[in-house]
Amino acid sequence: MKTLFSTCGAAIAAALLVMAAPSLSSADERITTLADVPEDFEFYPLPPGEGVDEVYYGCIACHSLRTVTNGAYSRAVWDELLDWMVDDQGMMAPEPDIRDVMLDYLATYIGEDWEG
Amino acid sequence: MPNKERGLIELYNDDPERAEYLVFGRKAGPDRRGFLRGAGLASMGAVLGTTIPFSSNMPAGLMPAALAETINEFSIDSKHADMIVHNDRPMNVEAAAHLLDDDITPAAHHFIRNNGTMPMPMSKADWRLKIDGEVNEELELSYDDLMNDFEQVTMQAQLECGGNGRAGFNPLPRGNPWSIGAIGNAEWTGVRVRDILRRAGVKPSAVYTGHFSYDEHLSGDPDRQAISRGGPIDKMMDPGTIIALKMNGEDIPIEHGYPARIVAPGWAGSVSQKWVTRIWVRDREHDGPGMTGLSYRIPRFPVEAGAEVAHEDMMVMGSMIVKSAITNPIAGAETRAGAPFAIRGQAWAGDNHVVKMETSIDFGATWQTAQLHAPANRFAWQRWEQTVIPPMAGYYEVWARATDNQGNSQPMVVPGWNPRGYLNNACHRIHFTAV
Repeated sequence: MKTLFSTCGAAIAAALLVMAAPSLSSADERITTLADVPEDFEFYPLPPGEGVDEVYYGCIACHSLRTVTNGAYSRAVWDELLDWMVDDQGMMAPEPDIRDVMLDYLATYIGEDWEG
Repeated sequence: MPNKERGLIELYNDDPERAEYLVFGRKAGPDRRGFLRGAGLASMGAVLGTTIPFSSNMPAGLMPAALAETINEFSIDSKHADMIVHNDRPMNVEAAAHLLDDDITPAAHHFIRNNGTMPMPMSKADWRLKIDGEVNEELELSYDDLMNDFEQVTMQAQLECGGNGRAGFNPLPRGNPWSIGAIGNAEWTGVRVRDILRRAGVKPSAVYTGHFSYDEHLSGDPDRQAISRGGPIDKMMDPGTIIALKMNGEDIPIEHGYPARIVAPGWAGSVSQKWVTRIWVRDREHDGPGMTGLSYRIPRFPVEAGAEVAHEDMMVMGSMIVKSAITNPIAGAETRAGAPFAIRGQAWAGDNHVVKMETSIDFGATWQTAQLHAPANRFAWQRWEQTVIPPMAGYYEVWARATDNQGNSQPMVVPGWNPRGYLNNACHRIHFTAV
């Protein structure tokens, strides 16, 4: 009952949102919620985007990708997290250009507007 | 349709009053409650599926609980299907609020916060507990030594993750996005750490402990520990701090620390090392993983949300703080208008205890004192019960607020932001509908 109620509510709210605030929609086609990432996507649960494979293989060695999709962090937090993984957590340091690709992906696709 | 519109939560985080204007067309009254000339009331009611009897009290910018509560469909074996799984490697699982309704939390409803691997269980025969550092005599104790040579104590104990409630902070600090269910109150049986340390003989130089365990770092590097926290010697010498050997009368399940773990109730759960194998008594604050930098630390003074805080301005967290949960009914329940409706939950306050419990069903305009039970023992959480009568059909929210014996009570809004998102004890609220 509760699930149905909440889901209906959210759906109606989303519909209202589109009607009331069309200016908030951007041309950007990216997926912004975990629920919308197709389960058969090869890098699930990461959303598609440039750098997804670098992030997937850079992270999956030690922990599940849910650790990443629980994020919704700013670029500064992702930057600090990558340093922390290398300095404190035993991550093999990525080449600088790969690190840039990973950080761009994380900040762009799992940024503060992401819903994990 | 690709998801292009921004989510409700993000909109509310940016500017709650603008969000509800955009979503519902709502304008609040001059007292920042209610709906100015009814603006937005009908559309919010349409989304909630009913009317809002206390709408004139509803604060501006308040996302209805019915929309704020989230459902997660991920599940895990050995845990109740309504447990919310944030991660499977490392495993991090919390309880939906209604699973906290038992006075003694069953293992299947108890949150799990792992930092490293889920280890293969070490047999009781192989397991040892080493005590070293600032002690007169190093000890190495077997499971049987603990069972046979020390007094066994049994007690209920609240264990709460330091980051319970983190999901409420904005901007979201890094870490597991716990909502309210990273708390449990199981019954633990074991040996007082105090009795063990006294057997070893604590030197006057002892000020802190460091805890070690046999789980592994996620990287697989055997030289790294997943986590190694500790506590000040006073907390460790408190008779409520134990090496637990049983959980709810049974061997401790592997995910909760088989065959033995520390239980330091009322403090961030990470003090209560699972799979413990060594207590290092130290002459200074411990500096293992989880003790330094920003981890399990809070700013010494209030900071702006999102601020960068220098490490030297951070201090280690002590006791958890006063908090409560509504565990029955399940959010979204239906009841009859004009009829009594039973509401209940649990309340706790770290090292302190709760002396007053209040609820509101009119968005905080008035509060009613609930019946509050004494804890089963020191450090156990406390049952509270309330009967409310929704005066007419419509949408209601229950808000619950506990006050501890030091006069601290729960804020209605999220308390001070901190870099890692600890100690959010904002009032829990759920919605129900009267028909």
